[in-house]
Amino acid sequence: MPAITFQDFSYQYPSGQAALENIELQIPEGSFTVVAGPSGAGKTTLCLAIAGVVPHYHGGRVAGRVTVAGLDTRIAGLAQMAERVGTVMEDYESQLVCLTVEEDVAFGLENRGMASKDIMIRVKEVLQLTGLEGRGKLEVSALSGGQKQRLAIAGVLAVQPAVLVLDEATSALDPEGAADIYRLLYQLNRQQGMTVVVVEHDLAKVLPYADQFLLLQDGKLAEAGKPAMVLTQMRQHRVFTEALPPLWRLKLGLEESGCGPLGDWRDESDAVAELTGRITGREMGVKESA
Amino acid sequence: MLDLQRICFGYSNNIMLLKELNLHISAGEFIVVAGRNGSGKTTLTKLMMGLLKPTTGHVLFEGEDVTGQGADRMARHVGYVFQNPDRQMFRDTVGQEVAYGPEQLGFETAATAAAVEEALRLTDLTDLAGVYPRTLSKGRKQRVAIASALAMKPRLLILDEPTSGQDAGQREQLLSVMTRLNRQGMTIMLVTHDMEILTRYASRVLVVGDAGLAFDGMVETLFNGDYPLAQWGLSEPAIVKISRGLSALGVATVFAAEELQKNIQPLLRKGDGHEPHSTAH
Amino acid sequence: MNRIAPLTKLMATLALSLWALLLASLTGLGILLLVQLLLLLVTGTLKKTSTALRGLSLVALSLVGLQYLLGSTLEESINSGLRMLDMATAFIWLLATARPQDLSSALVQQCRVAPEYAFMFTTALRFIPDFFAESQAVQEAQACRGYSTRGNRLKALLAYLAVVKPLVLKAVNRSETMAMSMEMRGFGGNGPRSFSTSVALVNRDYAVLAALTSVTVGLVLLKLKFF
Repeated sequence: MPAITFQDFSYQYPSGQAALENIELQIPEGSFTVVAGPSGAGKTTLCLAIAGVVPHYHGGRVAGRVTVAGLDTRIAGLAQMAERVGTVMEDYESQLVCLTVEEDVAFGLENRGMASKDIMIRVKEVLQLTGLEGRGKLEVSALSGGQKQRLAIAGVLAVQPAVLVLDEATSALDPEGAADIYRLLYQLNRQQGMTVVVVEHDLAKVLPYADQFLLLQDGKLAEAGKPAMVLTQMRQHRVFTEALPPLWRLKLGLEESGCGPLGDWRDESDAVAELTGRITGREMGVKESA
Repeated sequence: MLDLQRICFGYSNNIMLLKELNLHISAGEFIVVAGRNGSGKTTLTKLMMGLLKPTTGHVLFEGEDVTGQGADRMARHVGYVFQNPDRQMFRDTVGQEVAYGPEQLGFETAATAAAVEEALRLTDLTDLAGVYPRTLSKGRKQRVAIASALAMKPRLLILDEPTSGQDAGQREQLLSVMTRLNRQGMTIMLVTHDMEILTRYASRVLVVGDAGLAFDGMVETLFNGDYPLAQWGLSEPAIVKISRGLSALGVATVFAAEELQKNIQPLLRKGDGHEPHSTAH
Repeated sequence: MNRIAPLTKLMATLALSLWALLLASLTGLGILLLVQLLLLLVTGTLKKTSTALRGLSLVALSLVGLQYLLGSTLEESINSGLRMLDMATAFIWLLATARPQDLSSALVQQCRVAPEYAFMFTTALRFIPDFFAESQAVQEAQACRGYSTRGNRLKALLAYLAVVKPLVLKAVNRSETMAMSMEMRGFGGNGPRSFSTSVALVNRDYAVLAALTSVTVGLVLLKLKFF
């Protein structure tokens, strides 16, 4: 069953600027979906449409329908949507509304009326997961950019939403920190079946975890499908090729020069294993991913 | 061009973020500064710009002691571009915005106009001179910020994570502007987490860590396998990782996908020759 | 004393201010001040509040001087200075020992103030350090473009536009995003809201409240008898 369905959805901001056009899309429950595309293509609007903020908060013109976890976003209120969708916004600093780290993580839980002793336990758990343990009593304003980003993620994870939407959620983190966060999201996605939707410019960061890529261009859905397929199409159709991860530039380049076909590499070790196998003449390549 | 001599700095008195740091920057370098979050990368560049004053030690520009001079005076020599261009935009058009710096520095009207024109040309913004800067895309805003710095005719340009939050196309364009400037003699210092930028553009890499410069050298050396990259908050670029993974097969360590492709194509064809099955697709 | 509930602290502050109004004699007001200072000492907040207290004393002193110059008697002038000091000290103690978020929490849970209003108060508090940080960042960015506060006042004031404009635009933007984000995190839903911090009253609080009430009643009676 799809967790999120866009049915011929179009949206225009009150300014008249078209943001999304005729989006037809299904995001399966428990999937890890990556939204890619040049800036201004509508990625953020897509995230806001899943959260119900578009059109509830911004107004503007809507056509079609978005359904999230069985709720029609045009009908459900924002607070009701918040029970199912957790969103980390691009402007993560403005997402933090409380004075201390602990209080901010508790905020979403309090809004849901959770008992205070359960809140304490959950807050502690989530701070540990996001690498903020021991910082609960700190003031939010004393945190660094990267820590604030972790906190925004923690606040959303705390409420254990069925759908998690993250708009460039690791932009302030160093490569190690970003890798940690994506590993954590993947773990939650696999173990708890949380549906994850992320916007990420650096596709290499999410390639190991994604099972669906969406490519937006000028408000339209240009490509959607398995990462391998979308990456191949990007290369073949010459769309947004600058975003192809180096790993895939190598793979597709080799295939084009007649050295293929090669497996659907997710990370460097896949590549090393398959190439070693091919060069030494032993079959050690990765399986074509299902 | 710019020298840091035995710089010590801490935000509180008892904890020194940087200790006894020495650094010499020569004209024409393209320096990339990397390091873990909170390691002191931005602190280092702010010390160079005069936005922070070292606890002890000296900053020299062309041999002249400029320690504690303040950023408004350093602005003549050093251009500084911040991560978030929204923080500095306040005028009605891109042209006026770019003119602010030279005006502040007391350029004559004609000199300001010429400086603005050149800065806009160098950043491919000439066509947008009359546009309200805040409505531009992130990539363009960042180029306006760069133009604003260039218009003051600096000798060194420092950029603090200028590509964060930008898409791949915007990033490429920004870097092509930077490479062009560098070729024309501008010294560039770029702070980034992006390992691809680091490998593709740096003529010299500085890694800030362990209260100082944990590494100062060439990209090739940084990724030779001898350094604790993870501890410094860095990651090995994909192509480096793959070529190193294949080193037992005689593959040299390279940085670009295209180069690695060229290196392994003959090997793959040979490999396929040994294994007739794998060619039958 | 620091462990009493925020509501009790709020009541105590109000009671102390009321007493300062009820007491009319120099001795009474003086004793009240001594008691409050003792309270600060005992609760270990004297050091933390000493700067504020010193500043206040100066204000009180100038108030006394001003009143005297304007024709009040010396005793009247000292009285009003002391009264102001008494009332302000009570508030300083409150602010030094109760966290603002706990106070707003108490207002919602015990005084039935709508959470929207209480949260407006705490988010405003969250805004302040952010605003200073942002202001610092904007000033740094403009300094790198030659912005300077050197030179005469008028010039500096005009130059400050380069800082104010981006700052205000950012603040407006942020408050909008913040409001939106609060809703996205489930604020303002129909269900009951819970609170992770406990501000409930316990026996200790009731004892303090009883003591406060009896002193207040006593003072009122005393006042009535004198008139």
